[in-house]
Amino acid sequence: MLCVLGVLLAKLWSMQVLHGEDYAKAAVANRVSSYTVSAPRGRILDRKGRLLVANKSTMAVYVDPAFSYVTSSGKRVKNSGLFERLATVLGMPETDVEKKAFSVKEQALAPRMVAISASEQAVAYISEHPDLFKGVDVRPEPIRRYPKGTLAAHVLGYTGEVSEDQIAASGPNGYKYGDIVGKAGAEEEFEKVLQGDRGERVVEIDAQGRPQRVLSNTEPTPGHDVVLTIDSKVQAVTEHALAQALDDAHKAKFSNAHAGAAVAIDVHTGDVIAMASVPAYDPSMFLNGMTDKQWASLTATASNDPLTNRAISGLYPSASTFKAMTGLGALQNHLITPNTTVDCVGRWTEMGKPWAKWCWNHAGHGIEDFHTAVRDSCDSYFYHVGYLFYKDGGEKLQKYARRFGFGEHSGLDLPGELSGRVPDAAWKLSYFQNYPELQKWQPGDEVNLAIGQGDLLVTPLQLADAYAGIANGGKVMTPHIMERVLAPDGKTVLSYKPKVAFDSKTSASNLATMKSALVAVTQQGGTGYGAFAGFPVKVAGKTGTAQVAGKDDYAWFVGFAPADKPKYAVAVLVEQGGHGGSIAGPAARQIFGALLGEKITHVSATDTSR
Amino acid sequence: MNERRRLWFVNWPLVAVGAALLVMGCLMVQSATSGMKGGSGLYARQLLGIAIGMVPLVVAWGFDYRKLEGWVGPLVVLDALLIISPRLPGIGARVNGAASWLAVGGFRLFQPSEPAKLVTIVAIAAIIASYKGVIDKPRDVARILSIIAIPLVLILAQPDLGTGMVFLAISAGMLLIGGLSPRWFIILGLSGALLVVTVFGLNEVLNKTLQRGPYNPAYVAAVKAAKGDTSASTVQSIADTSVLVKQYQMNRLLVFVDASRDPKGAGYNLEQSKIAIGSGQLTGAGLRSGTQSNLRFLPEQHTDFIFSVTGEELGFLGGVLLLGLYLVLLVVSLEISAQSRDLFGSLIVAGIMSMWTFQILENMGMTMGLMPITGIPLPFMSFGSSFMVTNLMAMGMVLSVWTRRRGVPGY
Repeated sequence: MLCVLGVLLAKLWSMQVLHGEDYAKAAVANRVSSYTVSAPRGRILDRKGRLLVANKSTMAVYVDPAFSYVTSSGKRVKNSGLFERLATVLGMPETDVEKKAFSVKEQALAPRMVAISASEQAVAYISEHPDLFKGVDVRPEPIRRYPKGTLAAHVLGYTGEVSEDQIAASGPNGYKYGDIVGKAGAEEEFEKVLQGDRGERVVEIDAQGRPQRVLSNTEPTPGHDVVLTIDSKVQAVTEHALAQALDDAHKAKFSNAHAGAAVAIDVHTGDVIAMASVPAYDPSMFLNGMTDKQWASLTATASNDPLTNRAISGLYPSASTFKAMTGLGALQNHLITPNTTVDCVGRWTEMGKPWAKWCWNHAGHGIEDFHTAVRDSCDSYFYHVGYLFYKDGGEKLQKYARRFGFGEHSGLDLPGELSGRVPDAAWKLSYFQNYPELQKWQPGDEVNLAIGQGDLLVTPLQLADAYAGIANGGKVMTPHIMERVLAPDGKTVLSYKPKVAFDSKTSASNLATMKSALVAVTQQGGTGYGAFAGFPVKVAGKTGTAQVAGKDDYAWFVGFAPADKPKYAVAVLVEQGGHGGSIAGPAARQIFGALLGEKITHVSATDTSR
Repeated sequence: MNERRRLWFVNWPLVAVGAALLVMGCLMVQSATSGMKGGSGLYARQLLGIAIGMVPLVVAWGFDYRKLEGWVGPLVVLDALLIISPRLPGIGARVNGAASWLAVGGFRLFQPSEPAKLVTIVAIAAIIASYKGVIDKPRDVARILSIIAIPLVLILAQPDLGTGMVFLAISAGMLLIGGLSPRWFIILGLSGALLVVTVFGLNEVLNKTLQRGPYNPAYVAAVKAAKGDTSASTVQSIADTSVLVKQYQMNRLLVFVDASRDPKGAGYNLEQSKIAIGSGQLTGAGLRSGTQSNLRFLPEQHTDFIFSVTGEELGFLGGVLLLGLYLVLLVVSLEISAQSRDLFGSLIVAGIMSMWTFQILENMGMTMGLMPITGIPLPFMSFGSSFMVTNLMAMGMVLSVWTRRRGVPGY
């Protein structure tokens, strides 16, 4: 008897006095649980404060893991009845419901989201039948909303679930499974400011894991809003103009025209006012988990890469639009003067008969000086200039082109930009390292470069930048898409300050010479006249028709306006669209119209130049 | 002196310690049920149980126990009837799968196995007393054992292993006081151990030959289907076709050996109970402040695991107080047993003491992992009217022996 009580006393002493603290810790671990509450993402606005990306509250259906199992005759078994009912109500396969309910990606006690954007009927049915849906919680969950639909999809980008690599790279307090992050465009670029700080809720739970009371609650901090330089009205016109350009191309029997890009920038600040790429995609497709069919539609060859932002990730020969660089470079290097003339007879034979080259105008332009050569886009004149660069040596044309940003990243604050290529001797040597007979830089390479053909590759943004540089006293501003960052309370916490990206170091008189020649392009007798006839503001620009092996010609127009007091530069490209003056020019006219507040008219123009 | 004389039939220490235990038990049941749905109803039922229990206490106290000495036969019959009564059609009721209640018209009255403990004690006391304190002849031992065996076998057949163990403890205590010679204790102890081994061995052999329990081909298939999860319900129900030892009993024993075997099943209760008691530390969390009990981590916290709540909320000091009260209860009972006018009275008190001692050991021991988990409640503490009434009646019987003790005139 004493022995019994003594043993019990000894055990009690051992447990409560000697090891009490360990048990106390175990008791705390039993009853305290914490889970995180995701923060609403910051919004994305255009320069006028119009919403481009916002959040909407959808109803998400959660299952408390404590109810994923039930006790049946003393044993824990899967709560199949609940999953069956949820599957029926939500209209999804039971296996999907279970997969999400038993997801191991979440914290052990955190409710599992089995459906987002649940239908009103489903939400109503679940709320009205609490007995059938014990452990099911329907609560608002913010998801991305695109008030302007697919507008500026490539600029905005899209969101998706964080990847394993991102979680690993973000460290212990960083991302966790299931977090939504920016996957492309501004969503990706400004992820750090858009992403808020998640909140944490520490709750006391009972033995079934049901929360009893909140021990501490850190509310989530919403992410910062990002104000873009985009003007959604101009953006809409730009996208519409591109679509019409494709139409025009089809009407002009260029049936392979399915893609294109356009950029509009402020020449003094680098603000990207509009940036469009076709074909585009619908960013809302990424919200609820994409079906295989949807994904196939985005990646099929026939879809022409709708996910690619061609304005910064598309590489093209610039064609005649590059003649502005060739001409300015030649003037700047004193290879020619504005008065230098070339007699174009349709076929240029300066390097000898075996290397004779055609001007696009086989009939010949006759005597051309600098001004008329730019206006007429005379190939013979610029072949001659290219040959002068070659004979002069020192790759001065390439160096000059790079001073306008060609072959370099522009510095744009969007992911995925390509730097293009300015071909030179070193590039050719390495590019053809397995073909020694092709490695040498030839006069023909230089001559081709002079008219923007050959191995030169540019992005539409680079061309717009270069022309903005001509308009801005030879200085190329860093193009940028972010104007301001706003705290959740609306206060500006960061403002972009314009900076110079490249300085071409071109004299004012040479720039003036070029500008007047570019103005002539859109005037009567110029290759862009058809597109800009009757446009109330003087536009300085250049058409281009790029030849691409095995493809129809690519149509270009790039220019700036107003010519006298430049404000905006625009570049338009239509893949396999035919002639720049007839296909790209009219689109550029509409974009300038929107930028300058002029009437937006769709004209049809005929241009046969390159 | 006059005062004492007038109340000479009251054993004040026993009454005081009984009252103290009841107060402490009420406090703990109140605390344990406070967070439950209908908790106050449970508490009221406990108070009602105590009130009802006062009747058999007073009756037993006033009743001259000696009148029962010659009634071995009728007592054994009554005992047997009580034990098998829940299985009788019309008056029995099944609760949680076990037939252990008497009910009239669906209204549960009480668990007859509880008063059966007292009837068993009186019956065994009567038969042992007839040997005048010397039990050595094999014939006498056999006769006593055959009487003891009747309620024991019947209760084990219910099956109610826990109550069976209480019967064994009662018998052992009374045989000790009743003068069973030491060599018989050794013989009986050894054969008991042999019997247990035989039962488990036979269970294994029978299962194997009859393809029952874990040897059932359906069991093997079910385990495979459940991907090795032996806790799955289909698996368990097939395993329970085991012949002699039920699978859940086997599991409890295995878990007692190694609680980590099954942290969410049978081992879970033990683990949570130990956490509750241990976390109470020196002074406890305070009444109604125990998280293990209020958040329902504890199983059966107002009945079998009431001591876990006590440990958590009153700490080591509360535990020492409770053990101290039990010590006084048992020492005073021992004193009363020693002062009994006759061997019969001594044996009755010894049987009751043994019952209490074993229940205290088993109940508190299981909450701390010293004993395997069985459904034995804690005397005067646990929720449960049948149990409470029985213990109060036992108290009345002890007082009855005290009142008629040696040297008291008039008896």
